[in-house]
Amino acid sequence: MPSTDQNIPKLSKELCSRLLSDLERAKRPVLYATKCSLDNSIYNHRNGYLTPGPKKVATELNVSSVKKMARAIFMLEVLLRNIDTGAVNTKRELYYISKGEIKHNPSLRALDFADQNESDDIIDFICEMLECYREELNCYANDRGGQTYSQQLVVTETLPDGDKAVVDLSKLGTTPFQPKNRPQNLKLSARKKIDFCLIVESEGTANTLVANGFTKRHASILLGAQGVPSNAVRGWCKLIQDQLSVPLYFFGDLDAYTMQNIFRTLKAGSAASLIRNSDYSAPDVRFLGVLPEDIKKYDLNDYPVKENDAQEVRALKKAHDALKNDPFFQDKKNKGLAQILRWLLENKRRCEQQAFFTVDPRDPTMPEKIIVDKIKRGNFV
Amino acid sequence: MAKQPGSNKITTSSTAEYFSKNLQQVGFSSQTKAILTTLKEAVDNALDACEEHGILPEISILVEKVGQGSLKNSDQIRIRVEDNGPGIDPEDVPKVFGEYLASSKFGRGRCSRGQQGIGISAATTWAQLTSAIGARVTTKTKSMRKALSCLVEVDIKHNRGVLKDRAMFDWDRAHGTAVEFVVDGRVQLNGEAGLLNYLSGTTLVNPHLTLTYKLPDFEPHRVDRVSTSIPEIPEATEPHPHTMKLGEFIAHSHLFGRVKVNAWLKKGFSRVNEGTLKDLSQGGFPASLLEKSVDSLGDTQFKNLFVALQNLKLMAPSTKSVISIGEEGFAKSIKRLGAIDFFAVVSRKPTICDFKPVQIEVAVARLEDRSVEAESAAQVLRFANRVPLQFDKSSCAIVHAIESVNWRSYGIVQPKNALPQGPYIVAVSVVSPFIKFKNASKETIDASDELVEEIRRALIQAGQKLSKHIRREVKANELEEKIRHIEQFCPILVDGLCRITEASAARRKKAEDGLVKILGRDAHVTKTELDEAHAVLEAQKSSILADEIIAEEVRD
Ligand SMILES: Nc1ncnc2c1ncn2[C@@H]1O[C@H](COP(=O)(O)OP(=O)(O)OP(=O)(O)O)[C@@H](O)[C@H]1O
Ligand SMILES: [Mg+2]
Repeated sequence: MPSTDQNIPKLSKELCSRLLSDLERAKRPVLYATKCSLDNSIYNHRNGYLTPGPKKVATELNVSSVKKMARAIFMLEVLLRNIDTGAVNTKRELYYISKGEIKHNPSLRALDFADQNESDDIIDFICEMLECYREELNCYANDRGGQTYSQQLVVTETLPDGDKAVVDLSKLGTTPFQPKNRPQNLKLSARKKIDFCLIVESEGTANTLVANGFTKRHASILLGAQGVPSNAVRGWCKLIQDQLSVPLYFFGDLDAYTMQNIFRTLKAGSAASLIRNSDYSAPDVRFLGVLPEDIKKYDLNDYPVKENDAQEVRALKKAHDALKNDPFFQDKKNKGLAQILRWLLENKRRCEQQAFFTVDPRDPTMPEKIIVDKIKRGNFV
Repeated sequence: MAKQPGSNKITTSSTAEYFSKNLQQVGFSSQTKAILTTLKEAVDNALDACEEHGILPEISILVEKVGQGSLKNSDQIRIRVEDNGPGIDPEDVPKVFGEYLASSKFGRGRCSRGQQGIGISAATTWAQLTSAIGARVTTKTKSMRKALSCLVEVDIKHNRGVLKDRAMFDWDRAHGTAVEFVVDGRVQLNGEAGLLNYLSGTTLVNPHLTLTYKLPDFEPHRVDRVSTSIPEIPEATEPHPHTMKLGEFIAHSHLFGRVKVNAWLKKGFSRVNEGTLKDLSQGGFPASLLEKSVDSLGDTQFKNLFVALQNLKLMAPSTKSVISIGEEGFAKSIKRLGAIDFFAVVSRKPTICDFKPVQIEVAVARLEDRSVEAESAAQVLRFANRVPLQFDKSSCAIVHAIESVNWRSYGIVQPKNALPQGPYIVAVSVVSPFIKFKNASKETIDASDELVEEIRRALIQAGQKLSKHIRREVKANELEEKIRHIEQFCPILVDGLCRITEASAARRKKAEDGLVKILGRDAHVTKTELDEAHAVLEAQKSSILADEIIAEEVRD
């Protein structure tokens, strides 16, 4: 991790002194933040994730931005106090904390937030100014997705008070392990050799596979992504990749949305999170399917993209642009993935992960058999 | 005339009989409307009479409850209107108040308020029908030593006025007329159809009027004139060819008998001269026909001549054929409606719409009073020949035109295709010797495309003028907001920075001064913009004054 919690107070102090000395000289302070957009994204297959280019967004202090700036410094003080005492909060809690501060200090009334969106924006603004993650400011989102099953994996968590908690996933029965979005406090180990890690797009299908005995039969880690991966899921996958060196496979729908918004984010991050991609991507993860060729091979039920399917229509449009502008899909190393996008654009069809259940409707373990077979034969991209 | 069923006898019913059965057609369709109409007929007459005789009008009005009415849920109301007009010759008094279709204004193609000679006799009839007393009239002309006081009743069978209670007495004035009715009805003061709206509208479009009034539940009130110039009554002008239809054109020729066509055209029409005749023949109309006698022309020749004239570009009818309120008087008058932040007045040049000369004048004002709800529609005041229109708003040409303007571009709130909203008054006056009304009771102006477009243009000009004020106000608010921003947030920001950096009090002071200096520069820019907006307005004001001076010079 590039910056640790210790750095934030130091960075904040530096930023504030710079502002203050500009003001002392009656010089208009300008703050620069990384421009988080595709046109400022760089992809290098050697590190495997999108990194920020040189473009910056400048915020100048003037009459219209002075309110935002005053609010940001006020919120920063609250967050620095949290870092100091080790307290953590969600964005919603921070909204109420700031309401409380203002209530008890009438001279701050002008800063008052009308709703949570306003305070959320300020927190994001602070992250941009300091080029840090929300989590580094002890502000955590609700953990979502990433329910994990394994008969071999052991997780050791270092608690804030220094205590250690050891979770042996084989002891949890059908209860999944839920990763936190503070992966740096987790240490992973394997009781026995683990062959691979399977990330399933649908949480429900991940559950079904486990219930039907997937993790009993295969030395593996199996987790559900629950749609677009949260920071918790992204950090967790990176942790598995870095600490266990097992191959990672992603199994999800064959459509433009899954390819760009779910798989790409998991593997190389996104343009919106340029500054955190280095800590929140798992470049080794491979796309197991559903592959276009699987449709014929297994006689899967696919169907055309409906015109009223707004999400997928939008994703197809985005795919068209991505092939031209997205450095990830343009990289030679990802030719196979770009080919899938092109196939989707040409054929305008989609095939869901659950279609594997049509292959032998009487055999509940059929999807498992196909998945394992695909891994064995190297049938992935 | 009506053929009676079952008999061969054809009967002639008197005009008075017809109207007494159809009073709803002339404004007496409800109890509240009856009161308004009675007042309106008397006031219109007083204003017309003063205008015609070059008298600055002073009118006083009394409306009071005197008892219970004979109709269900009605009151007995006394309505008295007194003017300082020329007075009425005693001989004419029974005709004026008791005979239908007796009018000095009939068919003159003028822009007077009254047109037909029905108004005041209808009021007498209503009084007679509901409270069994006619009109109580007091009048004195310059040449009378004493004033005449009498009661006029309508002899409905014979369409004739009957005088009763005649008396002569000393009246402390040189001339004038007072008319009093006791009628059944109900007084409605507020709302679009209310008496107050009528009175404020009447004062608005009559800057030269001094009005005193006493209404039920109200203290006596006086509104002084803001102009001492009496609208000039245009001399009767010959008709303009573009204002006629073919039938009227042919009928017009019969008045001239045996004259040559070219002489008839030049003499009988306005804006037709030697040049016009040349244009006619150059346009292909046979010159030989122009030399013929008018009474020898056949229908086809009349038609060809008529069409050829219609296709010529003629000068608009004389601006003198319409009466205008004038921008200056209108501007002063609008301030009588209440405290006003700012306003814009536009007097369009007289023009032709649908073959008729018409002049549009509009005033748009923003009221200081913000007690009206923000989302309520602007107050619309409509006038036809300077008479307020208070009913059937939605189908009126004026309302159509107001709704067609994009007020948002002038900084005024407006839902799509609807009236603008907020504390605004939009007053539109249509003056024309031939206003086309949508219905018999003369309450809405027919929304022809040409007329709507002409009104719309006037409104757009007014909107543009107004927007300069609104823009300046926005700038002023911006400046105020910026200064408030600076005052509020500078200390908070600097305090926060100092706490985080643990800076000294001296640094703090210096930083705060620096910040105020930086932001002060921003505020200064706004201040400059505000000054510029202000300068634009001032320039506009002085150019209006210059226009007025030029207009004066031209008139001289
Ligand atoms: N207050 C008055 N002073 C002097 N003359 C008056 C007064 N009131 C009425 N007259 C005369 O009486 C005539 C008849 O009035 P009346 O209201 O019946 O008809 P009008 O005003 O000509 O038309 P309309 O029916 O449209 O009102 C008027 O034309 C005017 O000459
Ligand atoms: Mg009249």
